Amino acid sequence: MDGCCGPGYASPTEAIKAPKEKLLYTIAIYTGTGIQKPDYLATVDVDPQSPTYSKVIHRLEMPGIGDELHHMGWNACSSCHGDSNMSRKYLLVPGVRSNNIYVVDTASDPRAPKIHKVVDGSEIKKKTNLSGPHTVHCLGSEIIISFLGDARGEAPGGYLHLNKDFEIVGRWENSMGDIPFSYDFWYQPRHNVMVSSEWAAPNTFMPGFDLEEVGHLKYGRRLHVWDFKKKEPVQTMYLGEDGLIPLEVKFMHNPDSSHGFCGAALSANVIHFWKSKEGKWKWEKIIDVENEPHPEWPIPIPGVMSAILVSMDDKYLYINNWLHGDMRQYDISDPHKPKLTGQVWMGGLLGKAPEVNGVKIAGGPQMYQLSLDGKRMYVTTSLFSTWDNQFYPEIRKQGGAMIMIDCDVENGGMKINKDFIVDFGKEPNGPSRCHESRYPGGDCTSDIWL
Amino acid sequence: MTKITISNRNNSAFEVNGKKPLLNELRDQGVDLPYGCQYGGCITCAAKLINGEVDQRSQVALNNRQINDGYIILCVAKATTDCTIEIGVESHDKLYRNPFLDPLEPHELKADIAIKKDEKK
Repeated sequence: MDGCCGPGYASPTEAIKAPKEKLLYTIAIYTGTGIQKPDYLATVDVDPQSPTYSKVIHRLEMPGIGDELHHMGWNACSSCHGDSNMSRKYLLVPGVRSNNIYVVDTASDPRAPKIHKVVDGSEIKKKTNLSGPHTVHCLGSEIIISFLGDARGEAPGGYLHLNKDFEIVGRWENSMGDIPFSYDFWYQPRHNVMVSSEWAAPNTFMPGFDLEEVGHLKYGRRLHVWDFKKKEPVQTMYLGEDGLIPLEVKFMHNPDSSHGFCGAALSANVIHFWKSKEGKWKWEKIIDVENEPHPEWPIPIPGVMSAILVSMDDKYLYINNWLHGDMRQYDISDPHKPKLTGQVWMGGLLGKAPEVNGVKIAGGPQMYQLSLDGKRMYVTTSLFSTWDNQFYPEIRKQGGAMIMIDCDVENGGMKINKDFIVDFGKEPNGPSRCHESRYPGGDCTSDIWL
Repeated sequence: MTKITISNRNNSAFEVNGKKPLLNELRDQGVDLPYGCQYGGCITCAAKLINGEVDQRSQVALNNRQINDGYIILCVAKATTDCTIEIGVESHDKLYRNPFLDPLEPHELKADIAIKKDEKK
């Protein structure tokens, strides 16, 4: 249909019409589980017509142990749709602890991807003084990856720039300004803007979560607005207590929109930001998930909103509460006034859904990916090995799970699909934990339009 | 040379010279150990020191409670005496705690923010 062009789609509207996904990739970890095996990229069959539907059909092991694979991203997306020399072929999969970046060829055999190249973690440290890789975005034909620390694991880290052959160009940013921490970022080229968020230094979050360190300002509470062309921060939005540990940042997919969102994990709030008529960036809290009482806890449990996602049509915002155990859908037709339209439960500490489709759930809804048409959401349950071990120690024996939610895009609403569940507790090498997922043809967190 | 005994591997013993971190010394001799960052920042390789002494001044992952509970970071810890250690997740019983249910006292925080319990220097 689009034979003349490069990867992705001409617009979000075109993306929504793309064929249904048949496969997806999710990372699965053994780091921190006690099983001495490499982390791996699992291929999951999501074609309901296939005899292996809802099963892991391939496991690509990394070359060594201890990476902690976490997030990932494509070498190319709709941002180079006009470049017929590019294709969405390689998945970049960083190891948070090892600093290695694995470039995985998913095109030669989509069911059985293979390692194309390894960008060595120690070379990244040597050339750029960065460690703790997180978010991968392609940038036209090139790639930037946020890193949370310097080579010694101290904040604020910065951005690694790779060229399209995955060679280290150097640091992407010209300045970090006075940014204290890094984490996620998203950019919106028509507004010449990037917004970045704050987790913590690798040396702070990697060993686990000490609540006291939030009070000692070891965790973030700001969003940063960047001049994307100048590659430097220009405005700080101090969120204070409303924005403790602001993690995922998403702009609307419509490239003309200046509206975006961030989930503040510990405050369990959604922050909405946008550009005012005067050209200043503003923010407001639009969703506040109340802490929930628990009979054994001295204080109510915070939601821990570790991820957010905007549907390709910009109509729905999805959030999770990892400790409570619920996923929610909000209609954001008016981004200032979100309306709750759906909610489902899986795992969590409140005991509302200890079992889903016959599988006992350890952990809670944590990472999720949505199909381009907005109808199928795949959710996984592990956050980060050390944090899992603190809040859900039973995940060591039970492993993670992948669950599918049917989303009603017409009237709103969410329902757990009864026919789909992948139990990573039953993996051949023992219980592993799945995390972020990507679909080969694109999904709702991969593509940005120029 | 010092002797490292691993209590949860049938008390198997290894001679090390104390120049390299225990992770490298023991892996070189065939002990299968977990690890991650390899600079003392991420806790994946934590083990429990049952007795003996190590130099782990360059670790930045452990808080003072974990240190008081005997945890050492094998990727940076060097043995300064004969040691007995417990390795792997079996040794992690006190390493991970729910931070809401079991908060740290000010003196139990990480070294850079801990407040001394008494004023002794």
